[in-house]
Amino acid sequence: MTIGQSATEIIYSLGVGETVSGTSVWFNPTLPEFKALNAGIERIADNDPSFEAVVNKKPDLVAVQYEWHVGATGSVATRGQFHELGIPTYIMPADCDTKDNSTGGDGTRVTAFSTDSIYKGITELAAIYDVKNAGADLVDSLKAREADAVERAESLDLPDDLSAVFWFSSADLEIDPYVAGRLGAPGYMMDKLGIENVIESNEEWPTVGWESIAKADPDVIVVARMDRRRFPADDVEKKLAFLRKDPVTSQMTAVQEGRIVQMDAHAMSATMRTIFGLEELSETLGEMSFD
Amino acid sequence: MQSALVLQAVTSPRLRWLWLTPLVLLSALIAGTAIGETRIPVETVLKVLANRLWGAGYPVDRIDEGIVWSYRLSRAIVAASCGAGLALAGVVLQALLRNPLAEPFLMGISAGASTGAVAVTVAGIGAGAITLSMGAFAGATLAFGLVVMLAHAATGGAGGGRGLQAAGAIILSGIAGSQLFNALTAFIIAKSANAEQARGIMFWLLGNLSGVRWEDVVLAVPAAVGGLLVCLWHMRALDAFTFGADSAASLGIAVRPVRGILIATTALVTAVMVSMVGAIGFVGLVIPHAMRFIVGSRHARLVPASALAGAVFLIGSDILSRILVPGQVLPIGVITSLIGAPAFALILIRGTGAR
Repeated sequence: MTIGQSATEIIYSLGVGETVSGTSVWFNPTLPEFKALNAGIERIADNDPSFEAVVNKKPDLVAVQYEWHVGATGSVATRGQFHELGIPTYIMPADCDTKDNSTGGDGTRVTAFSTDSIYKGITELAAIYDVKNAGADLVDSLKAREADAVERAESLDLPDDLSAVFWFSSADLEIDPYVAGRLGAPGYMMDKLGIENVIESNEEWPTVGWESIAKADPDVIVVARMDRRRFPADDVEKKLAFLRKDPVTSQMTAVQEGRIVQMDAHAMSATMRTIFGLEELSETLGEMSFD
Repeated sequence: MQSALVLQAVTSPRLRWLWLTPLVLLSALIAGTAIGETRIPVETVLKVLANRLWGAGYPVDRIDEGIVWSYRLSRAIVAASCGAGLALAGVVLQALLRNPLAEPFLMGISAGASTGAVAVTVAGIGAGAITLSMGAFAGATLAFGLVVMLAHAATGGAGGGRGLQAAGAIILSGIAGSQLFNALTAFIIAKSANAEQARGIMFWLLGNLSGVRWEDVVLAVPAAVGGLLVCLWHMRALDAFTFGADSAASLGIAVRPVRGILIATTALVTAVMVSMVGAIGFVGLVIPHAMRFIVGSRHARLVPASALAGAVFLIGSDILSRILVPGQVLPIGVITSLIGAPAFALILIRGTGAR
């Protein structure tokens, strides 16, 4: 049983997806290669499942993406509640190794995200499922893709002072947007590719005013692409229309030069897909002019 | 007759200070435009204003010009309008309900607006086609309608002769309505919000002017000015209501229609303001009381003084919300409540002492 798309997709990638009895907490459609597999597995809830809905599946393991779902104050249940019923839990290291989840909400990252936590999660889940070779192969493949993306970016001879902002969404279109802080997955991407994040916050997704973003005038704007439609700004087309229409954002260098990258929203979370986002970004930067 | 009274009130020697109003308001607006999240020299701000207002043609950075004109000035004007509108709503409700703790949010308007906003952003009603503001406005008007209907049913359609009973019924109905809509808000958040949505909506529930643009000015200014004119037009009635509906009736005030006009104006102005900037508390409570200390209880003075003070107070609160924590904008409701909550406590203690 899984709580969180990231844990689900890693188990699918290890070739043991058939053992999953139910999934929950989805942000995007599953990766295309798992579409058929995923269609045959029950989705307990799109968002948070209830404790009983999870334990009723009588799982041998509950694999969890976020500690705020299953942790000391978990919204689904605490780990102790699962363990009392003899159900082991595993929380992905990307969310529990380098974060303080006692701060409420989705916690606070205390040290910068690195893909090492993803590789650790894959290796440990592979050990739990007794498919260590599949885990090692997956880690090797992801490490190679990560190295290629960094190498490609280095070969591009990007400007030394290249700067960017990652815009995830906004509670309302013109309101202060959720943008990436320095310690999350987008911060890792920018660090790896030698890009300065104009947002100085250590929070994972702080809300920062357009005034501050416009004054910082980043060279590149990365906007999240997602299927979710809860906020108008979830729609990438509406994000682009706002950037081009607003009297201030339309004057930003990135907008005027057309340097806007669309990226899968799930890649902006601390997941396996972060590496795919890194690839996407380095490829798109190669198509841009910085003269 | 009414306009003559208004003119007479404004030209009386004790109200000469009213002519300072545009100056004070202008200074507050310039301060709100000059101070923000980022540092823009005052000289640049003045050049932008000169360019835009008189076509002066000073060379100014395009982003600076956009920030000053499109973000900050519109924000300051909307803040002023909201402050004035909410303060006026407090003046009217305190007079009509003869209750020193009455304010717009007592009518369930804020709670309804919150439910509407949450329904749009968290529950996904409208699938992105309905904006948060539209949801808030719908929720605010729905809640107000329910509260008025409940109060009407509770008093059996009581008129002016049972004014105190009607006033009590509307307060209790407002509390019931607020509780109902707060519960609905909590239900929707508990049912479907993830951490990001909960954070987003909580930020809005505490008030937020960051999304304000010139389109909002077009709505906010007429609402505030309209509210002010209605209050000025009925200042004699407001004075009379302070002594109770029976006294007002004996003074020749048509109690039911006048009360209806004033409550409807209050609800409309509050719903418009809350739908634009979120639930900013305590302005309607604190400002009228503070102004009563300074200018007295006569509505000829209290109405314009509260409108001006509300405008300046909210511009000042907005400035504080932007500069108090470097690199972060606080919800404006945090600032107004930090000032308003102690003031609320003082009023409560004073009320107890008086008994």
